[in-house]
Amino acid sequence: MKNPIKNISEADRLKALRYVKIGTGIGYSLIRYALLISIGFLILYPLLYMIVTSFMSPTAFNNSTRVWIPTDFAIKDNYSKAIEAMGYFKSFLNTIKLEVVSALLEVVSCAVIGYGFARFNFKGKNIFTGILFLTILVPDMMVLIPRMVNYANLDFLYIGKGLETAITWIGSLFGADWSSVGKVLTPNIVNTGWTLWLPSLFGVGLRSGVLIYIYIQFFSGLPRELEEAAWVDGAGPVKTFLKIAVPSSSVVFITVLVFSLIWHWNDSLLSGMYLTSNLPLASGLGTVVPYMVQKWGIYLQASTPQGASIVMASCLLFITPMLIFYMFIQRGFIESIDRVGITG
Amino acid sequence: MFKSKLKKARGIEELKSRYGLMFILPWIIGLIIFFFVPIIQSIIYAFCSVVVTSDGVKATWVGFENFVEILKRDPNYTKWLGESIGNFAYSLPIILVLSLILAIMLNQNFRGRVFFRALYFLPVIIATGKVMGFVFSTTDENLTEMGVSAGMASGMIKVSDLTSALNMGTEIATFISDAINNIFNLVWSCGIQIVLFLAGLQSIPATLYEASRVEGATKWEEFWFITFPMLSRITLLVGIFTMVELFINERAPMIEQVYGKMRGGQYDVPSAMIWFYFIAACAIMGIIILAFYKFVMKRYEA
Repeated sequence: MKNPIKNISEADRLKALRYVKIGTGIGYSLIRYALLISIGFLILYPLLYMIVTSFMSPTAFNNSTRVWIPTDFAIKDNYSKAIEAMGYFKSFLNTIKLEVVSALLEVVSCAVIGYGFARFNFKGKNIFTGILFLTILVPDMMVLIPRMVNYANLDFLYIGKGLETAITWIGSLFGADWSSVGKVLTPNIVNTGWTLWLPSLFGVGLRSGVLIYIYIQFFSGLPRELEEAAWVDGAGPVKTFLKIAVPSSSVVFITVLVFSLIWHWNDSLLSGMYLTSNLPLASGLGTVVPYMVQKWGIYLQASTPQGASIVMASCLLFITPMLIFYMFIQRGFIESIDRVGITG
Repeated sequence: MFKSKLKKARGIEELKSRYGLMFILPWIIGLIIFFFVPIIQSIIYAFCSVVVTSDGVKATWVGFENFVEILKRDPNYTKWLGESIGNFAYSLPIILVLSLILAIMLNQNFRGRVFFRALYFLPVIIATGKVMGFVFSTTDENLTEMGVSAGMASGMIKVSDLTSALNMGTEIATFISDAINNIFNLVWSCGIQIVLFLAGLQSIPATLYEASRVEGATKWEEFWFITFPMLSRITLLVGIFTMVELFINERAPMIEQVYGKMRGGQYDVPSAMIWFYFIAACAIMGIIILAFYKFVMKRYEA
């Protein structure tokens, strides 16, 4: 039997092949769009759900015929209650004061540390790198309580207590009571911003290990020539860092700033533990349910459907600033990530 | 003359070494104060009975009592441990594979790429424990009622109707509704992984693909012989990041429980809990990393 394909001329065969190629191309792009859209839907769904629920009035929530579009709106009521329950404007300012400042401190301190790791060889570098990875691995939960205890009277390594005792003792030599002077050295910094700022300042804040790692990867990839030239010209390390390394590193600064800001904005573990009043938004979110139960008797139950609307409204209010921020930096951020070279 | 040059060179090296230490000095101080001291304290708490007084904490040594308590007497702890590990076991491969597939797709040229990239990075921005908890918590019954499963019921398919119509047991029904909630969870945990994989894909030189095209390799072969080997390092990085994230994420079952206890003012037993959990997690991560290193990295790098 003859092979039917052999009867086809060469030109036809090529043509057929081209069609097959176009066909698979279309098929592939169809599959790609189908997958991207369906998974994209999974990402958008909770967001849409939040928006829709936050707009609904209780009657609309219980209306079993509604699918997506609420039959009844209560936007103003839901949102004003959400704002009140979160203490939104005050919490917002707190977030700026506590979390954003902490994030900025972290961005700066981690840059210095990352530069030190990337550019200099020093004794025990391998050990320190190992410790850096250890800090990434160890959950914050492990150091949360001891830090809290030590914050209660700023006393790490018993230095504060030691000084306090020494001053009191010296005072007693002169027959005076200096214990209050000593107390100044061990202030209680729980419930102040220092609980968040201090670790960030020393590069051991919220996920600082990851940020330092990103900096190390970036600075290692930066060409050395310029810095060497500056060295030859007699610039010190600090000057070289500030005048040459920093100006050519805007990419990594954007990436790290975005990560740090997002993680700080979303963190409620640390702030929830160290702060009891003047809470930032992430922790303020946790107070919404108790507040509305106490104030309006609204529970997060099917019998009081407004509860869900208020909670969803407060969630939206919480993520909105970050969403706006994301819209502005989105393009630059994605480009930066491509160019930072985290991949190593 | 030669000798003096050598001496000078060593001088510079030493100087540089000192500068390096100067740059990381704040970190070393921070490490000691905010990392090592608390960690040692936390170990001590795990072996003590801790009472909080107005003057600070009073810890009395009790040996392994806390560990006996959580492992032998408290039935919940081992349950949470199992839950955490189970959650980890199925989340890790799904997250890795899903984010790799998505990253490869987003790396190609097609219409609407900018839009899809922005969309898929959204979870990086809003994947907050609290918000996620409110939207799809499975631990709180009330929230489950109000959260996505209820939304699913009205918006898509009514899960409970479906399961009862098919005459499924309650266990299967809860499994299915859990699975649906977890789809959201898993997709939402892919954000940073996609970002990292994309960065990795972009660092693969295009010449490799051109060469393979000339040789007539299929897309499938391209993936297994170029993309995957070139990505093995970044895969390790993403894998480690994902594992750490899964274990220490504030929504991990164990972390949630321990945090609740700590906020309640109990310091000793939770410390023991978190230490045992951490060691178990490290053991699992170590095994996985070693296995990956042996079976994947070695093969490509040798």
